[in-house]
Amino acid sequence: MITRDLRDDLTSALFHEAELLDDGKVKEWFEGLLTKEIDYRIPVRITRERLSGRGFSEHAWLMKENWHSLRQRVMRLDSEYAWAEDPASRIRHFVTNIRLEEGEGSDRVTVKSNVLLFWSRLDSTDFKLVSGERHDEWVREDDTWKLDARTVYLDHTTLVTPNLAIFI
Amino acid sequence: MNPEVITLPESVRRILDQAQESIPQGLLPISVFNDPDLHKVEMERIFGHNWVFIGHESEIPHRGDYVLRYIGEDAFIFIRDEKGQIRVMWDSCRHRGSQICRAESGNASHFRCPYHGWTYKNTGELVGMPAYKEAYGGWDRSQIRLHEPAQVDSLYGLVFACLDPLTPPLDEFLGGAKWYMDFYHGLGEMEVVGEPHRWSVDANWKLGCENFAGDEHHTLFLHRSMWEVGAIQVPRDRMSDGYHVQIGNGHTIDMGMGPDPDESGIEYMDYPKEITEKFKTGHLSKDQLALARQSVIHVGIVAPNFAQLHLPLTSDAENIPPIPVKTLRVFQPKGPNEMEVWSWCVVWKGVSEEFKELSHRVLMSTFSPSGIFEQDDVVPWLSITKAAGSGFARLKQPLLNYQMGMEGVGVSKPVPDWAGPGTAYSPRFEEGNQRSFWSKWLRDMLVEPSKVSTP
Repeated sequence: MITRDLRDDLTSALFHEAELLDDGKVKEWFEGLLTKEIDYRIPVRITRERLSGRGFSEHAWLMKENWHSLRQRVMRLDSEYAWAEDPASRIRHFVTNIRLEEGEGSDRVTVKSNVLLFWSRLDSTDFKLVSGERHDEWVREDDTWKLDARTVYLDHTTLVTPNLAIFI
Repeated sequence: MNPEVITLPESVRRILDQAQESIPQGLLPISVFNDPDLHKVEMERIFGHNWVFIGHESEIPHRGDYVLRYIGEDAFIFIRDEKGQIRVMWDSCRHRGSQICRAESGNASHFRCPYHGWTYKNTGELVGMPAYKEAYGGWDRSQIRLHEPAQVDSLYGLVFACLDPLTPPLDEFLGGAKWYMDFYHGLGEMEVVGEPHRWSVDANWKLGCENFAGDEHHTLFLHRSMWEVGAIQVPRDRMSDGYHVQIGNGHTIDMGMGPDPDESGIEYMDYPKEITEKFKTGHLSKDQLALARQSVIHVGIVAPNFAQLHLPLTSDAENIPPIPVKTLRVFQPKGPNEMEVWSWCVVWKGVSEEFKELSHRVLMSTFSPSGIFEQDDVVPWLSITKAAGSGFARLKQPLLNYQMGMEGVGVSKPVPDWAGPGTAYSPRFEEGNQRSFWSKWLRDMLVEPSKVSTP
């Protein structure tokens, strides 16, 4: 059952996650908030005719990660030669429209949320906005809610940022 | 200077004059990377004249399958028509010019213009419009069909189109590049996996091209983190082993070479045996076969803006040994200071689903907008474009350096008795591949393309 307490817990978890990512604590995010079974995906989106659906590819992804491949990404950000994120991008996750659906058992819940990501770099006044919807699976492990699966459904076809060295 | 160039805008003439003098010395005016007038001339003289990559045949396997593609900044429908013939058609209605194909991909027997309903068969013929009798009765519409590029042709399933009827045919345009494509792309049938990645970069399109022309030197530094996490396992101190080949017409090939396959037992980029056993090599000469077997990295461009990359990498150094990944690229111009990068994942047809899935995933983890290699490539490209468009650049006309490998600069030398077309240099630390790209670009920019119109 989706109780007010459960909604509060998951809302807090999403906001905590956004704080870690926005503060550049990617390692803490990776080590503290993800399960070992994490399945993290961002499907490619293409413009299709209305009858053909919303255009999310079933065959191509901007990211399709498991714990190990995420680990390689996070490790590499630690390098002195990770130019894409040094200086770090200034990012802000605006997370709204949080919707909970019951998962299997009391320790698993499906959470949908909208996300607007502000992205700015160096001393440029330009910035990019990335918009999308996230479908998550969160599980309770030792009294902590952890992200077990996420699919980010972007509102973009051609990606608007020159790279994707951050997590949505 | 060519008399036709006199008609060019002042800023363009100045850049081209400077380039004519500097490119033979291995120097390049920075302004080539961000000038609005130069960009307009490129659209005509580069993209109106050269063969441009459209897509791979495997992207449209069934009759009626189509995807939308670009030549320069113009949209074209790339389709397999109802008769099975592959066509490229300008996405613009013959009536008033409106876009008739608004999805990026799909399957269609007809295209209908939303404006007045002119309707075309997927072969390009105009077949109807509403109230035909009342509005157009007596008029023979059968002669009207969608505009097509003057020439369309393919090699190993790679489809190219050319707007200029006077440009030599594809075979001749590729010239010696075919000899290398015979093993780059001809060891089996290629198959595109999934939809291409597309991403927008605030950088000039030629920065992608000159990088993919063959640039190991940047790999050592810009991509140093790849060795730190083990994503690449070709030894860092062996990166210069192999050949740069300047084939002619701006086409380049860059081959990283591994140890002798007969001694090491490692061949064909370490593809699994069950895949290499099926490689078709009957069409290869002894020399082509030797290069194919010993290569560990293939990079290169077909000028102006089609590139390829093929090498073993991993997305999880601790658990998965590197496996070969292969990408086809287009660096599509979108104005003087923006490009869209297109990246296709390709595998050899008939590989296991498991291999296909893993190779696709590893490519995405390394070479894609989120790829840990490619995340860093755009960093210099963005700032070069910015510098190129600056007041300082216009005022001082600074020259960039492309002299590595020229007399007295470095150790790379022409390979004597090179078996293939073009001139090969070894080791790979040299910038002749870039110079050959720029020489071809300059030649094109000095010539007015033919404006012979299509019916």
